[in-house]
This record gives sequence, structure tokens and C-alpha cells, in this order.
Amino acid sequence: MSWLVIAPILLPLAASAVAFVLHRRPALQRGWALATTAATLAASLALLAEVSRGGIVATTLGGWPAPFGITFVADHLSAILVVVGAVMALATAAYALADVDAGREGLGYHPLFLVLVAGVHGAFLTGDLFNLYVWFEVLLIASFALLTLGSGRAQLEGGVKYVAVNLVSSLFFLAAIGLTYGLTGTLNMADLAGALRDAPPNLVTLLAMLFLVAFGIKAAIFPLFFWLPASYHTPPTAVAAYFAGMLTKVGVYALLRAFTLLFTGDVAWTHGVLAVLAGFTMVVGVLGAAAQNEMRRILAFHIVSQIGYMILGLALYTPLALAGALFYLVHNVVAKANLFFVAGLVRRVAGSSDLDAVGGLYRHRPWLAIGFLVPAFALAGFPPLSGFWAKLLVVLAGLEAGAWLLVVLALGTGLLTLYSMTKIWQRAFWAPAPEGLELRRDAPAAMVVPVAALAGVTILMGVAVEPFLALAQAAAAEMMDPARYVAAVLGEGGTP
Amino acid sequence: MLSAAVLIGFAVAALAPLATPALGARAGWVWALLPAGLATWFAAQIPQVRAGAPLEQAVPWLPSLGIELAFRLDGLSLVFALMITIIGTAVVIYAGGYLRGDRQLPRFYLLLLAFMAAMLGVVVADDLISLFVFWELTSLTSYFLIGYKHDKEESRAGALQGLLITGSGGLAMLAGFLLLGADVGTFRISAMLADPAVVQASPVYLPALLLIALGAFTKSAQFPFHVWLPNAMAAPTPVSSYLHSATMVKAGVYLLARLAPAMGGTAVWFWLLTGVGTATLLAAATLALLQRDAKRLLAYSTLIALGALVVMVGVGGPLGAEAMLAFMVAHALYKAPLFMVAGNLDHEAGSRDVTVLSGLGRAMPISWAVALVAAISAAGLPPMLGFVGKELAYETLLPHPWALAALVAASAVMVPIVVLVAWRPFAGREPRAPKAAHEAPVSMWIGPAVLATLGLGFGLAPDVLAQALLVPAAAGLVGAPVDFYLKLWHGVNAALLLSIATILLGAFLVLVWRPLHDALRTRFADVRVGPAGIYDALVLRGIPTVAKGLTKRVQSDDLQHHLLTITGFTVGLLALTAVVRGGPTLALPTVDGALHEFLVLALIVVGALGTASAHSRLRAITSLGVVGFGIALLFVMFSAPDLAVTQFLVETLTVIVLALVLTRLPSALLRDGEARGRSRLALVIAATAGAAFSALLLAVTQTPFDRRLSDFFDAASYPDALGSNVVNVILVDFRAIDTLGEIFVLAVAATGAYALLRRLGPRPEPEIAYAAPRGSADPAGDGEPSDAGTPGGRAADDGGAGS
Amino acid sequence: MEAPVALTVGIVFGAGVYLVLQRNLLRFVFGLILISGAVNVSIFVAGRLTRGASPFVPEGAVAPPAGSANALPQALILTAIVIGFGLTVFAIVLLLRTYERLGTVRTDELPERLDDPRPVDRNGDAPAGAPRPRPMPQGGTVPRTGPSGTDARDDGEGAP
Repeated sequence: MSWLVIAPILLPLAASAVAFVLHRRPALQRGWALATTAATLAASLALLAEVSRGGIVATTLGGWPAPFGITFVADHLSAILVVVGAVMALATAAYALADVDAGREGLGYHPLFLVLVAGVHGAFLTGDLFNLYVWFEVLLIASFALLTLGSGRAQLEGGVKYVAVNLVSSLFFLAAIGLTYGLTGTLNMADLAGALRDAPPNLVTLLAMLFLVAFGIKAAIFPLFFWLPASYHTPPTAVAAYFAGMLTKVGVYALLRAFTLLFTGDVAWTHGVLAVLAGFTMVVGVLGAAAQNEMRRILAFHIVSQIGYMILGLALYTPLALAGALFYLVHNVVAKANLFFVAGLVRRVAGSSDLDAVGGLYRHRPWLAIGFLVPAFALAGFPPLSGFWAKLLVVLAGLEAGAWLLVVLALGTGLLTLYSMTKIWQRAFWAPAPEGLELRRDAPAAMVVPVAALAGVTILMGVAVEPFLALAQAAAAEMMDPARYVAAVLGEGGTP
Repeated sequence: MLSAAVLIGFAVAALAPLATPALGARAGWVWALLPAGLATWFAAQIPQVRAGAPLEQAVPWLPSLGIELAFRLDGLSLVFALMITIIGTAVVIYAGGYLRGDRQLPRFYLLLLAFMAAMLGVVVADDLISLFVFWELTSLTSYFLIGYKHDKEESRAGALQGLLITGSGGLAMLAGFLLLGADVGTFRISAMLADPAVVQASPVYLPALLLIALGAFTKSAQFPFHVWLPNAMAAPTPVSSYLHSATMVKAGVYLLARLAPAMGGTAVWFWLLTGVGTATLLAAATLALLQRDAKRLLAYSTLIALGALVVMVGVGGPLGAEAMLAFMVAHALYKAPLFMVAGNLDHEAGSRDVTVLSGLGRAMPISWAVALVAAISAAGLPPMLGFVGKELAYETLLPHPWALAALVAASAVMVPIVVLVAWRPFAGREPRAPKAAHEAPVSMWIGPAVLATLGLGFGLAPDVLAQALLVPAAAGLVGAPVDFYLKLWHGVNAALLLSIATILLGAFLVLVWRPLHDALRTRFADVRVGPAGIYDALVLRGIPTVAKGLTKRVQSDDLQHHLLTITGFTVGLLALTAVVRGGPTLALPTVDGALHEFLVLALIVVGALGTASAHSRLRAITSLGVVGFGIALLFVMFSAPDLAVTQFLVETLTVIVLALVLTRLPSALLRDGEARGRSRLALVIAATAGAAFSALLLAVTQTPFDRRLSDFFDAASYPDALGSNVVNVILVDFRAIDTLGEIFVLAVAATGAYALLRRLGPRPEPEIAYAAPRGSADPAGDGEPSDAGTPGGRAADDGGAGS
Repeated sequence: MEAPVALTVGIVFGAGVYLVLQRNLLRFVFGLILISGAVNVSIFVAGRLTRGASPFVPEGAVAPPAGSANALPQALILTAIVIGFGLTVFAIVLLLRTYERLGTVRTDELPERLDDPRPVDRNGDAPAGAPRPRPMPQGGTVPRTGPSGTDARDDGEGAP
């Protein structure tokens, strides 16, 4: 049994229990959270290295062989996402040192955050459909608590929508699991891959649609995304940034997994539906952003829009497209979370992130300006930043597949993203500060360092792109050949 | 070495913000060493390039996609590289004087040097994707340079317009590159040029050509995308003369010329380029007559030149290539000095309005002299290189009279433009200017003087230029070796006659300029028609309006609307899938139940419907309890005693919690305020959802069941896991991780609920300081914009909590 | 017997969906509980129904007798019930807290209450005085044009 596979889950989970105990010692909690996330990142990197070296790693807890016990599986897709999740967890834990107030810490911010991280990693690594539901619920309840922590009026108003929609989505998911179990008698995803092939195809396709909706709500695709822009601008920045980076990506991951491993029998329909939704998601999201006037609201809508690119990659269902989707996902997590971090710094420096109320940041806070420019132009797809290659891969895959309309939509969305990013830039950074606005000198290192580090990742992914792409392509190759996943779980190598 | 020549610019640019303050007034001279050194290096490559041995270097970048950081320096690239570095030297020196003392000068040099490096990258890149990367970097640096005076609305708007227009063209171009590269199987430009037949026979030739041309046209400000260029004049003058006249706007021309051997020569190519180029010529010539700002006048004259260049690339052939190159070099050598002189006027005399200034010649003799030399070349008079270029252009267009006529007309407009810029502000005895004018410092006239002199020198000895640079460059454009000699004087021929006609027409325009200008201005002053109006309507008004309208429609604030959409979409998607892909096949079910079983089911149904239809809370909760206990009974009847117990307990707890909470909630009837239409919609969705779920479940239960897992658990439970209650063994052993997660869900739910309830106690507790980051008083708060500024309100809220 | 139960599940599910789609968030919670129950039973049915044979290993045996009920779905449902309970309780508390801070449990009124700068008494009694001011537009929220005034005070019982 390889502990490496479950270390990224168990580390934060166990640490959260300790953090619960430490709840009257905030300083200790902070250090503990930082150390835990750092250790989790180290474990995740080790796992990715292991997967890159020796291929898919699968392990079952308690020694019960698959498909009977619960299997944890790290293929390239899962390992990459866990690394990204751990990077974001570490960055968020650092940012939170200065961003999260004592009141929220007293209410349990740190343990809740660690549970959230464990839930996200659990969702990425589990190889069991029902266990995936459990991890979804773990991360969901933690996100509920974090989102509403402090009971601000806006938080509650947004929180109600977030909670309500996600609860409905969870029940849809559970219903779909029940039906799948009734149809196949199994829950292990590798086992399901085979069982679903033998099941009545039209029933399987209907189930696929149920999963599509359940995961699509989490991933915030059109027309299921409304909860996201309604809530993501309300919590403290550290929380919002991690949410913006990772939570929708859990949904995207679930879609990637479901529609490359489980539901590949009726690609023409399932992936066709995904393609249509991807197009709408890109366009509606980016237009929604164009209508906003507050940084975090603009960014929240852009999350939706960019999910569309990832779903487009999945819908095209070619090795290049899947690699593009994954590359896009990684790029987007880093850049988007960083933009939320920057928005938080803007609020701190200028007292607001409403574009009407701020200005003059380029002249007076040039480093903050650079911190914004790197992720913003990466998001808009400018070379040589990560977003350029992400866009290039998806567009190239679209062209090769002859999906002209979707390519046009993707490129148009890129242009409108540029429009939104320059809107923020021109008004918050270039335009002179409004009368009476006094900029504070208040940029704690704990907040600046994560911004700089993530900007560095964005640049690195743009300049030294090949190693990242190679990983994404390895993941895509595995996704296109589910037999490898199945063999790793059910074959001899699966149960050491 | 070649890649170093490109990339060193970025490295030096990165130093600029740090080192510029230390360099003080010498900054311009010091930074000019970079372009000057590069110019020397490029000049030293002339012999090798002339010999037909281009420099090449390629570093793998994305080997898996065949994308390389590939560079290649042939004749065509060399002309551009020398233009970029030589004019760059002049501009960097000039900027040191022009922006002396400006506190943003360090950032300026960062951007300017980075631009130069990117521009070099564009012209020596041998890989379409590499080229695109540098191309976008020039757009980006151009954006920041246009917006340099970012306190001014005009600068910001101009910068954005330039970026959006060139950016959209860039996207089209990227699509074109990818389309072409994927089809041809390589992104290497030299490989495509080596085998033009493959490109032209490709099924994607036409779309790729159109998309790439779109990129080139937006970058080179061709009609109807020309609108951004005049507005880019909001940039400081060094930027206008460098990016927006001498180099960046020629990137589109370069790209077309570069790809001409592979993509050119077809009818589409010819008509596309000559058509668009001619339209640009005519539009620019007309609009130029409306201007009185020296820089905007020059911007329109740049548009004229760009249009002419595109026409000549479209015509192609050895003569077209020769004419294009001579015309382009001449333009660079006269336009940059003219811009810089206009900048001197602005800087030293306080205005660029040519109707305001006059008589400055005495105060600014060197600037005037430079302006005159450049103006003669611009007007296309001998003995300047401008004359040579224009004669060649006329000769090239002789077979295409319509294009020729347009070029003659546009060239005639060049005459009043240069008279307005280079003569009017200086001539006359009485100095008239907003401030006391004096000559610009040496840094601001040395560069333009050298460039203008080069224009004169090459005019006198054009073949020196031709043999060193233009002949090898033309070979790159034509795709085969060419040979020609350039002379200043060709004797009396058709081109010369046309030149004379041009001058006469130009002189006439000079005479009637004032009335013509005033008439046109009154007619068109505030009319934003044509492409400029379209841009305004599309970007400034269109996007926000469409975005707001659509968003208002789809992104409601109302949770009910969200849920209606989600559930409606779900049932709709399921129905559509069932229709298209076939629904589940259902057999007539066999019913074998006992009476008490049906009674329990009926109880559940009655409870569920009762909850849904309840008007009062009491009835709703009671009905809910009935459903819960009915389900518990169901579990009992079908061999799940553990489940029944749990269900019973949980149901009881839920009802207790609900009852506790309800006392604190409004007691009004549950159905108050429901909208009738939405309720009806909800009913339809709910009925469909219920039916769909029943059908799916039924269909699933009618398939044969695979008991593999349960059989394993039954068999292993006692012998291996030492438990006799299989359900419990599954929970604590086989699927223990589920249970672990479940425990955490409960713990976190309790924590979260506790956090929410913290302030519900009998005594008012202090407001949690969620608004203020630790250690600082932040009144705006993080979580809650709407509460900002009303701390008293929250305190009052707390007071209420105590009652 | 699966068919009648499946039908029942559909009805409960439908009733739950209907309630989830209502403006009153209390009804939303009721709907959630109904859907949760329906889904749990659906898993039960999906694992097929067995009468009178609980999955116990009898004394002296090594496995439950052949034909015993399917144990796996029961375990899954146990987990789901507990998780669902945690989520439901959280949702109920959130609803309560939201009412205290924003003064309404109606989805259409929440956004406008957010824009209303006046504090809300936790018992829902509007402070005496003038009618509520019109909500102020704020950020990207579009104020609803529906009733914003006294009808929001739908609390007949008053303070306990």
C-alpha cells in the first residue's frame, strides 16, 4: 500500500483535527496551517514525481482489493491537480496570515480551511464513486462554513445561494450514484468503466446527463453557474481566492474523469452536449464580466467563462484537446487565484475594489501593478504567459477537429477577456485616483509573497512551457486510454 | 548569436527601471548604446547575407507541437532589423531629451527597449508561433507606451483602441497561423517558403490567408482598421515616431512581404492587398485634410505610406519588391525626423497646432533645417530617397491605373502635409507660439538630423543602398534572386511626368488648403462616421450594453430563478436525451407487495404531498415527519433495521431542530408572496422531475443485478473482518474512509453552525471584527461592501439581539 | 415490489423539487429534506429489496444465509443520511442567521435587503418610524422593482 497516494488527503485532514484543538491559540494555528500545507505540497510533488516515473499508482485502504475496498488512484490527471491544489493551499495559507481577521480565526478558520483542502484532494484522488460523493460533501460543508464565517450580511446573502444550489447539486449527484449502482452493482470507477460498457446504452447516456448536471453545477458551466457570481465576491479574499482557484475545478475534474473514464460509449451525444454548453459558458461568462464594475465580481464571472475553455477541451475529446483543457485548468487556477489576491491587496491599499472608487495605483503602487498585469494578461492569453499556450492548445485542437464556431467563440471570448482586464487596468491603475482617495502603505509580506510567487509560476509556465505541456500530454494520453487506469486499479499492479 | 541579439534587448530593458535614475541626464545616451551596438552588429552581417547565406538559429520550445524559438536573418529581415536599430538609436537619444525629468522615465525606457527587442524578434523570427509571440509583445508595449500619459482620458482611450484592434487582428492571425501550420505540418517559415506549392494547394489556404491578412491589416492600420493610429498620437513623440511610424506599424507589411513567396501571386492575394491598400490611401489622404495638429497630420501621412506599401506587396514581382523596399526605407528616414521635429515644436514652442505656430525658424534653425530636408524627401522631390521610392512606386503601378491614380492623389496630399508641418510653423518674421521658443537641445536634433541626412545621401547614391540591402531583401520578397540597379535620375518617363503632376496638384492643394480645410471641418467636425464610429458603437457602447442586457436577463439576483433554471435545464436535458437517444425500456412491472407495504407507501406519498401543499408550518413539519417515519418503516420492512433506527433518530432530531428554529422565524403563511407563474412552472418541472426519476429507477431495477460486491462483503465480513453485522463491517472496515469523511462532515457542520450561532446568546456580544484585517483599521471591510460605513447599524443590530 | 417503491420515490422527489423551487426558504429546506429521503430510498431500491433477511451473520455461521438483503446500499445510505443531516442542520441554522441579519427568508427579498442600509432587528420587527427607504443600487446588483416595503414584515407572531 502506498501512503504517498493518500498523504495529500490525510495530512491536512489530521492536521485539521489538531487545529480544532488549538482553536484558542491563533498564532500556533497559523503556523500549523502553513506548515501543514507546505508538507502537503511536498507530498503532492513526491506523488507527481512517482506517477511520472512509474505510471499510475493505485492503493486500497485496509488491504481490501479493488473493487471491494475503496481505492485511491493517482494518475497524471489526479496528481497534477493535487499539486495545483497544494500550491494554492500553501499560497492561501500564507495570504491568510495577514488577510483573515482574529474574529474569523476564533471561529475556526484554520481547521475549516484544512478540511476544505483535504476534501479537495480526496475528490481528486479517490477511485470510488460514492467516496467521491463523500469528499464532495467534506469540501462542500467546509466551504459553506468558510463562506459564511463571520456572518456578514453580504456573506449570508451570497451564502444562501451558494449553499442552496450546491445542496441540490449534491442530491442530484447522490441520486445518480444510486442509479449507477443499481445498474452495475459496483462503485469502483475502474470497475464501472467496464460495467457501464455492458449496460443498456440509452440508460447509460441518461445517467451521463445526470452526472453532467451534478458536476456541471459544481464546475459552474452554463446554465448552472448562477450561484458563483452571486457568492464569490463576499468572503475574505483568502477564502475567495482558493474558492475561485480550486472549487470549480473539482467539478471540472469530475467532468473530465466521468467523461473520459465512465461515459465514453456515446461520445457523439455526451460530448456534443458538452461542446454546446462550453460555447455558451465562454460567451455568457465573459459578457457577464463585461457588465460588472467591481473587481471581484468581474473576476467571478471570468471564472465561469474560462471553465468554458476547459469544457471545450473535454468536448473535443482528442489528446491535444484534453492536454489543452488540463493546461488551461492549471494556468487558470494560478492566474485567477492570484487576481483575487491582487484584488484583496487593492482593497487593502485603496479601501475598495470598486472601479469607480479607486485609481492611481500604477503611479503610486507600481509593484502592485505588475502583480496585476502578469495574471491579467495571462488570463487574456497574451504571450509569453501561461494563458497564451493554454488558449493556443485549445484553439489548435478546435481547428484540427474542424469546430470552427467554437474556435471563433473561444477567440472572441479571449478578446472580451482582454477588454475586461484592460477595464480594470485602465480604471484602477491608470486613471488618476478619485478625489479624496488616500492610498495606504499597507502591503504585508504575507500577502505580497503569494502574489509574487504565483506570478512567477504564470511566467514560468509561459516561458518554459514544455515540461508543463509534457505532463498535460501524459495526463491526456491516460485519459484517452482508460484501459491504463483500469489496469492499474484492477490489474496486478493495483493492489500491492 | 542571432537569438542573443534579439533577447539582449529584454535583458537590458529589465535593467532600465533600476539604472535610469542613476544615469540622470545621460540616460538617453547610455541606453542608445544598445540599439547602436545592435545596428553595428546587424550591419556587419551584410556581407554574409548578401552572399545568400542567411544566419539561422533554432532552439526547441514546444518540441511536442513542433514549435521552436527559431530565428533567421536574410535580406528582408536585415533591412527591417537595421531600420529598427538605427531609428531606435535616434529615438532613444531623443527621448532622453524629450522626457527629461519625467518621473516615469525609467518605466519608459523599460517599455521602449522591450519594444525594440520584440520588434527585432518579429522580423527575424522563423517560426510562426515565435513570430506571433513577439508580435503580441509589440502590441502590448505599444499599449503601455500610448497610455504613457495615463492621467489623460485621451491617452487611455487611444491605448485601449490600439490594443483592442491590433489584439483582435492578432487573434485572427493566430488562428490563421495554427490553421496553416497544422495543415502544412510545420510552423517554420523558411520551410513554407521553400515549398510554396504546398501552401497554395492547401485546402486552408484561403481562410488562412484571410485570417493572417486580418492580423497584418490591423497592425499596419489598413482601412478600415486605421482608426487606431491617429489616436495613438496621444503617446509621447518618441513613441509616435518609432512605433507608430517607423517600425511597429510596418510589422504587418513585413509579415505580408515575408509570406509573399508562399502565399502571394494568387488573384485573391492581389485583389485583397491592392484593394485594401488603395482604400487606405484614399481614406487617409481625405482625412489628412481635416487635421491641423502636426502629429495627426503626420499620422495620416503614415497611413498613406502604409497603404502604398501594402499595394506594392500585393503587386509583387521584382519591380514591386524593389519599389516597396525603397519606398519603405525612404519613409522611415523622413517620417521619423518629421515626427521628432513636431515633437520639438510641442516641447519648445508649446503647441503642435500648425495654424497657431509661425515664425519659429529663427529661434529653432536646426530643427527647421532638419524638417526641410525630411520634407523634401516626403514630398517626393529630387534629390532625395523619397523621390526614388515614389518614382519606383509609380512605375510599379503603371499596369494598374486605378491604383496608380489613387497613389498619385494621395502623394499630392503629402505636399500640403509637409508644407504645414515643416514650413508653416517656421516661416515668417514674427515668432508666434504659446511660449517663447528656442532651439531644442542637441539630443533632440542630432538623431533626426542624421536620419534626414541619410535620406539625402541615399537619394544621391541610391545604388549603394540597393546593392547592400535592397537587392538581397527583394530576393526574400520575391522568393528568388533578383538583380537591379537604383538610380536617382531615370530621364523623362511616365513616372517623372506623374511626379510633376503630383507636385502641381499638391501645390494647388497648398494654395486652397485653408478654405478647403475649414469647409471640411465644419462639415465633418463632430461626425463620428465610418470605422471610427463603428468602433465607438461596437466597443464603447455596444459591449457594455449587450453585456448588461444579457446579464440582467440571465444573472438574476433571485435564488428561486437560479433553481428554476437548474432544475428546468436538468429535466429538459434528460427529456431531450431520451427523445434523441431513446428512453429507457420499461417492462410492465410485476407487483407482489403486501397490503401493509402499500399502506406505508401511501403514508409516505400523503406526507410528501402534504408537505408540498401545506399552508402552515405546523402542518408542513408534521407531514415531513410522516414521510420520514414512513421511510423508516420501509427500511424495517425490507431488512434494514440499522437504517430504520438511524432514519428514525435523524428524522426526530431534524424535526426538533426545525421546531426550535421555527420559533425564531416569521410565522406568516408559507405560501405568501409566491408568484403564480413561477409556481406553475415549478409544478411542471417538479412533476417531470419526479416522473423522470421514477422511470429511471424503474428501468434500473429491471436490469439484472450484479451482486459481486455484496457477495464479497457477505463472505469476507465474518472470517476476515470479524464482524457479524455486514452493514457495520462495511462502514467501519471495507469502506471506513467513507465513515471518516462523514465524521468530518458532521464536525465541520457543527463548527459552521456554531460560528453562525455565536451571536444568538442572551447577551449581545461584540461584533466580530470580520471587517478589519488584523492590526489595521479598515473601515471598508473585506466581506461586505454594503455594510461599509454603517458600523452603527451593526451595533444597533446587536442591541436588538438582546431583547 | 421495486416498482411501487420507485413510483413512491418519484412522487416524494417531485414534491421535494416543487418545494425547492419556492420563494420561501423554509419551504426550500422542507424540499431538501424530502429529496434527501427520496434519494436515500432510491439507493435502497437500486440495491434491490429483500424481505425479512437482514444481512447478519447468524451465530455459528461464517456468512449471512443465502438470499439475505444487500448490505452495501444500506451502508451507503447510512453514510448519506448522516451527511445529509449535517448539511440540513447547517442549512437551517444558516437560514435562521440570514433571517436575523437580513430580515427575510424570501429569495426575492434577500438581494434588496442587502442593499438596504438600515439594520434589521433580529426578531424581524421593523424599527418604528417611516417606511423603508428605497434600496440603493450598489455595485453590480440590480435592485428589484418588486415590493420592498412593509410586506416584508411577514412576522405575525412577533417576539417570543
